Amino acid sequence: MSAVWRASRAAVKRRRLQTFVIGLVVLCSTTTILLGLGLLAAASAPFDNAFAQQRGAHTVATFDASKVSSARLAATARRPGVEAAAGPFGQAVLEMPEDWLWMPAGSLSVVGRAEPDGPVDRIHLLEGRWATAPGEIVINWPIAGTPGRDTLGTELRPRGGPALTVVGFATSMSKTAGGWVSPEQMERLRPATRQMLYRFSDAATERELRAGLSTATARLPADSLVTAQTYLALKRAFAAQADAYVPFMTLFGVLGLLISVLIVGNVVSGAVVSGHRHIGVLKALGFTPNQVMAVYLTMVSVPAVIGCVLGTLIGNAATGPILRVAFAGIDTGGAEIGTSWWPSVLSLAGMPALVVVTALIPSVRAHRLPAAQAITAGSSPRTGRGLRVQRRLGGTRLPRAVSLGLGRPFARPGRSLLTMAAIVLGVTTVTLTTGLTSTLLAFVDDDGATRVRVEAAGGSTVGGDTARRLSDRQTEQRLRSLPGADRVTVRGLTRVSLAGHTEPVYANFYRGDTRDLAPHVVDGHWPDRAGQAAAGPAFLDQHGLSVGDRITVLLNGRQTPVTIVGRLSDGNAKALDSNWQTLRRLDSSFQAAEYTVRLTQGADVRKYVDAVRAADPALRPSVLRPDNTVATTVVGFSSVFTVLLTVVASLGVFNTVLLDIRERRRDLGMLKSIGMTPRQVMTMTMSSVAALGVVGGLLGIPLGIVAHRLVVDHVGVIVFPEFTKQVWHLPQLAALMLAGVTIAALGALIPARSAARLTIAKVLHNE
Amino acid sequence: MTTVPDNHPSRTVVRLDDVRKEYGDATALDGVRLEIRAGEAVAVMGPSGCGKSTLLNMVAGLDRPTSGTVQVHGQDLGALNETGLALFRRRHIGMIFQFFNLIDDLPALDNVALAAQLIGTSARQARRRALELLDELGVADRKDTYPAALSGGERQRVAVARALMNRPALLLADEPTGALDSRSGEQVMDLLIDLNQIGQTLLIVTHDPHLATRCASRLIEVADGRVARESAVEAAV
Repeated sequence: MSAVWRASRAAVKRRRLQTFVIGLVVLCSTTTILLGLGLLAAASAPFDNAFAQQRGAHTVATFDASKVSSARLAATARRPGVEAAAGPFGQAVLEMPEDWLWMPAGSLSVVGRAEPDGPVDRIHLLEGRWATAPGEIVINWPIAGTPGRDTLGTELRPRGGPALTVVGFATSMSKTAGGWVSPEQMERLRPATRQMLYRFSDAATERELRAGLSTATARLPADSLVTAQTYLALKRAFAAQADAYVPFMTLFGVLGLLISVLIVGNVVSGAVVSGHRHIGVLKALGFTPNQVMAVYLTMVSVPAVIGCVLGTLIGNAATGPILRVAFAGIDTGGAEIGTSWWPSVLSLAGMPALVVVTALIPSVRAHRLPAAQAITAGSSPRTGRGLRVQRRLGGTRLPRAVSLGLGRPFARPGRSLLTMAAIVLGVTTVTLTTGLTSTLLAFVDDDGATRVRVEAAGGSTVGGDTARRLSDRQTEQRLRSLPGADRVTVRGLTRVSLAGHTEPVYANFYRGDTRDLAPHVVDGHWPDRAGQAAAGPAFLDQHGLSVGDRITVLLNGRQTPVTIVGRLSDGNAKALDSNWQTLRRLDSSFQAAEYTVRLTQGADVRKYVDAVRAADPALRPSVLRPDNTVATTVVGFSSVFTVLLTVVASLGVFNTVLLDIRERRRDLGMLKSIGMTPRQVMTMTMSSVAALGVVGGLLGIPLGIVAHRLVVDHVGVIVFPEFTKQVWHLPQLAALMLAGVTIAALGALIPARSAARLTIAKVLHNE
Repeated sequence: MTTVPDNHPSRTVVRLDDVRKEYGDATALDGVRLEIRAGEAVAVMGPSGCGKSTLLNMVAGLDRPTSGTVQVHGQDLGALNETGLALFRRRHIGMIFQFFNLIDDLPALDNVALAAQLIGTSARQARRRALELLDELGVADRKDTYPAALSGGERQRVAVARALMNRPALLLADEPTGALDSRSGEQVMDLLIDLNQIGQTLLIVTHDPHLATRCASRLIEVADGRVARESAVEAAV
């Protein structure tokens, strides 16, 4: 065993507590950073991997079959810039009159393909087999898993079309269709459009994709191209939900990294500074300056590596469940959501490196320190540090224990600044979490009234075993007339197509008391007239729409122009909201199957539910619970991060106080010998960090408020109404002021107690 | 009922009764009996490790005996908890150490005033009294100087001033000249003699016979944790 290793091991053993603190700080920091990096990686890597695996289409182009022949379309595959192409495939829209396989009634876009493989868009068959004969269909299943083998054989009966038997479920990262049939079946459906799938040599940006498509279709009739959908839009949609978490995850990750650097720097430099005498002894024994430096670097590297490995394990274990929540209900297709390898590698290599680099600076001081000076450095009196401040404090009316404590930070200003910076970041984190929680609670607050959702047989989640006794209008009327009913909102959910877009979207058509929905509009107004619609930010962004734009909605072969008149605070990325008048332009016979009843204050919910069941056995009432998934998730993540970062910040304080007490054992012994009580020693020690806590609070709160604003303004899938951002009130801010003091007190408590219990005789005898 | 004044010679300031102190297997004090009356100056001598510092710690309430009782100024120290001991020390005991134990971050005046401030005396009053003491001890001109810039003798004078700040019934000195040159040592000895002459009870722990004979009226020799010999100073000399 080398002398360096032996000396390092002895140093680690002798400084068990300090070693433990370094290890714990690195562990907490690694976990925090890994959580943030894990989500960042998951937001794009799984899509990229699955997209590359399926050789996804950079652009899915739809052409008017009446304006361009298949042969001319096929020739576009040989145009410059086209790396690979598939098609042309016939494309038709089927109208499903009723709910099918958990999908609402409406449009189903189908494409005729002989096989799932090909140069572009290699469709991944999840269950069953490919459609090879007329009367067969393979359904695109965009979310994780499949509906199960027992659903194979389900017969679909589109309006005005042939019956189709489901023979398989498949998924396409390029979302080229809602279902696939054989080419023969497609010809029988008389396709109005044809689909071409392109991969371009330059496809990094929307501009390159537009240029590629323009070159490929240059020789085609100008108006033959109906629509084109790029993979970049799909990628944005894929990451949309995760994007909701990315801003605050990133911020917490950055906060965690900053706190780690500060604390590790403080802990490590403290270890070297307090080890000056040890350094002198090593040099006196014959250790070379490089060996001394190596001893110190090894001493801090051991706990850093252990902390980092454990932090990586814990971080990876925690990332899995978090990702499952973040991507729940997302069209992940063939993408496997899981932890990437690179955040772990980065953490495993980066954190110990960070610690070593941080330790290098004080270790270089150890390297340069002459042996004699090093030996005396531990005991030589200090002068000139914050003395004026301490003198002034001594003259104030404050209890002497308090004034002595308040003067301590000035004795070691560098260490105090590092500690205070950690407290500032800790308070910033607490403030950010408090703000986020308040914002989300305000956002999901739904006036506290009880609501009952009533679904009729044939609805999206209710089976059609029992025939409806009451028609749609009769149901609405009956629900209104039952005792306890206050307002009734009726929703008609269907799938519609938008002119210019290949993928169908969901449309919610409302009637009745829609005033409860209006507050969700953050820009424009609620669509209260025929030909109007509103949608959430995710839908508008992914379809390139904004308030004032006009779109054409298609259903059952009919179409109607619709103007976007409102931007909702949030909403499904695939759904738009409109009203019953608009629906009647598309389908005058549509029967709603979902009713939301707001009950009067104090109404008996059970009685109302029983009355609904009695009115029509085909009605399925259920008490509505607000969907707080995002709020719960964000608040949950924030709380975890806050606890972690508060612990790390407190550990920073703990270390500072510990070092200070070790350096001042003689002073403490003397103070106790002249009559300072244990309580006064506690008071003095706590006061020494309380001031840092107060200043940390004063600086951390505004930073937290700014961070809160940054996060809530950049959550892509939600536009928070202004009132939900105005969450700062005086009592709350006053309580937050305590956060800094609390972090400081938490960190200082244990060392302060140990200081109070110091045995005077032992301390003074050691001199 | 007549109250005996604190410095009346008939009053016992320190009484140790069969005090025993063990540190693991080692016995530091073994059945020590000792009585010091008000106004006395007693020197405890003995070789290193004989238990004299332990004895001083017991009297100062810095450590507790394994068995036996320690009474100072009529108070059984064993009956006090840590806080009670601290309160007792600050009121009745002053201590001087070999290595001064001044706080490096405070100037001489504030080091002295500190003891009074701990019992709630205002900063202004404490500084006034501290200045008086520094003046009496001849270091008033060094009141704003930090310990690092004081000579050894000056540091010990400041330490003595601090020890006297709360007018203690008992002044304990642990090797008070051990870290000083001979001239400074003599000055500190003169100071202790002067204090004793005005009625201050002194207990000095030292291995320096010169200090013991100059300052003390009674000499106690400790060996192997026991009082080996007790004599008047003239007899010892």
